[in-house]
Amino acid sequence: MNSELRRKIVDMVVAGKDGHIPSAFSILDIITLLYRDVLRFDASNPLWKDRDYFILSKGHGCLALYVNLHRHGFITDHDIEMFCKQGGILGEHPDRTKVPGAEASTGSLGHGLSFAVGIALGLQIQKMNNRLFILLGDGECQEGTVWEAANVARNRDLGNLCAIVDWNQSAMQLLPIDDMPKKWEAFGWNVQVVDGHNESEILGAINNVAFQTRGIPSVIVAKTIKGKGVSMLEGHGIWHHRIPNELEYGQIMEALS
Amino acid sequence: MSKSTRQQFADTMHAIGQYDENLVVMVGDIGHGILKPFAESCPGRYYNIGILEPTMISLGAGLSATGLRPVIHTIAPFMIERAFEQIKLDFCYHQLSGNIVTVGSAFDYSNLGCTHHCYGDFALLKTLPGVEICFPSSPIEFDQLFKQSYQNNQLTVYRIAGKNHGVQFEESEIVFGKGVLVSEGEDVTIIATGPLLKTALIAKEDLLSKGIKSEVIYIHTIRPLDIDLIRSSVQKTHNVVVVEEHMRTGGLGDEVLRATYDIEGLKFHSVSIPDKFVTGYGTYEELSKSCGLTPEAIVNAVNSWYS
Repeated sequence: MNSELRRKIVDMVVAGKDGHIPSAFSILDIITLLYRDVLRFDASNPLWKDRDYFILSKGHGCLALYVNLHRHGFITDHDIEMFCKQGGILGEHPDRTKVPGAEASTGSLGHGLSFAVGIALGLQIQKMNNRLFILLGDGECQEGTVWEAANVARNRDLGNLCAIVDWNQSAMQLLPIDDMPKKWEAFGWNVQVVDGHNESEILGAINNVAFQTRGIPSVIVAKTIKGKGVSMLEGHGIWHHRIPNELEYGQIMEALS
Repeated sequence: MSKSTRQQFADTMHAIGQYDENLVVMVGDIGHGILKPFAESCPGRYYNIGILEPTMISLGAGLSATGLRPVIHTIAPFMIERAFEQIKLDFCYHQLSGNIVTVGSAFDYSNLGCTHHCYGDFALLKTLPGVEICFPSSPIEFDQLFKQSYQNNQLTVYRIAGKNHGVQFEESEIVFGKGVLVSEGEDVTIIATGPLLKTALIAKEDLLSKGIKSEVIYIHTIRPLDIDLIRSSVQKTHNVVVVEEHMRTGGLGDEVLRATYDIEGLKFHSVSIPDKFVTGYGTYEELSKSCGLTPEAIVNAVNSWYS
């Protein structure tokens, strides 16, 4: 699934000589579905007031965002070619001030949800009906601010907010007791668990979210595989921040052909 | 008893809230009593959000991203120090505007100890591009500075002093980014910020009794700093003492020295909090004395230049 976008990500990393391929592959299927079938946006007017917001809180997965922003016309071929190059707008974390369509400059983990809750509260105060999606990493959920924000979101009835957690078991490398759905349930959120590489399951879960200006916030805990799509990249080994050499590049591209 | 600067904060919020529907006030479980008039007259725009300062800062940035004008209020160390990265990234790097109002800076909460002290805030905030810093120490200053700057598309930090300096300024004297020439003199420039203006004025009288005429400049806006006023005075006097409730490192003194270092014959002295934890207890006045923030410290420095 989404092999073409996966190949583009690998090409960007090789050309830019930097990037997190497995983190992007873990969330690519979710973000691709969101931009293709869910989010309301106008690429020619990224700040359109009626848009849905999407915040990528695990900023190091940004390649999955970039290839979708490119596919839908927010950014250009040239922007893609300039990934991690001087003068370009695309770095290893999304930058709100440079990248059309990027709602937040993320990278320091644990900021995105708090910022998103502020946006959701601002929309609620102004009685605006925009929907807000945020994608967090499961490792990121070790940050205390995630739970500060989760607490506020529930207590302020931010039903316009849908979080998606990329539950690829990275967090369990460090802290193995990690029942992600139960944590969100304990904070009073509506929780659904899906296969994060199964479009119909993800879409079904999104369609279950009421998106009310006042209501219970929702979280979709997406079971994912880090590096999904290329067996040699999958899991939690050396590939987290590695650039393929010529031989590896050939092997990866063959797997994605 | 005169009104406190903090009460003026609440009164100013109430006044602006009547005509600016975008003003949203968020507090971290302090100030709900004095802010009740704002809360009651501006429903849906007052949030006692919880004890979670980093997230409170990020929430404010999120509100700003939707076009609202957030005012975020709690105790200085928990916002400026604990939530520094949220200020840095979620407001400053995002290029979002807002207003942070602190109480409990320096050692205003003297008996609560070091956990509740914050005397490095100027230094920290000055590392962030674009942040404006005010230190209003009388009601009229807060009211004027806030009204002049709260919607200027920057992040502005208002460090509310626990004590008033006791000098009555006219509204027209308080201009954001401009110092106030409190008294003219030609022998030494005393630059004071915060409640220590009172200390500076006591020192001025003492020096005058010895025939030394002091020019006293009051600074309520630390950034942007009124460098023109400071330089024009020090070019005349060549002697400058800076008095502040801040650590020696990174405070107003450093800024004044940077602004005047090339003036011929410059003599400079900093009356400020030594670069160490203030571990004692007692009243604000007692801690001020133990830190050397006294008229005598100013007078002794100046006398040494004239002896």
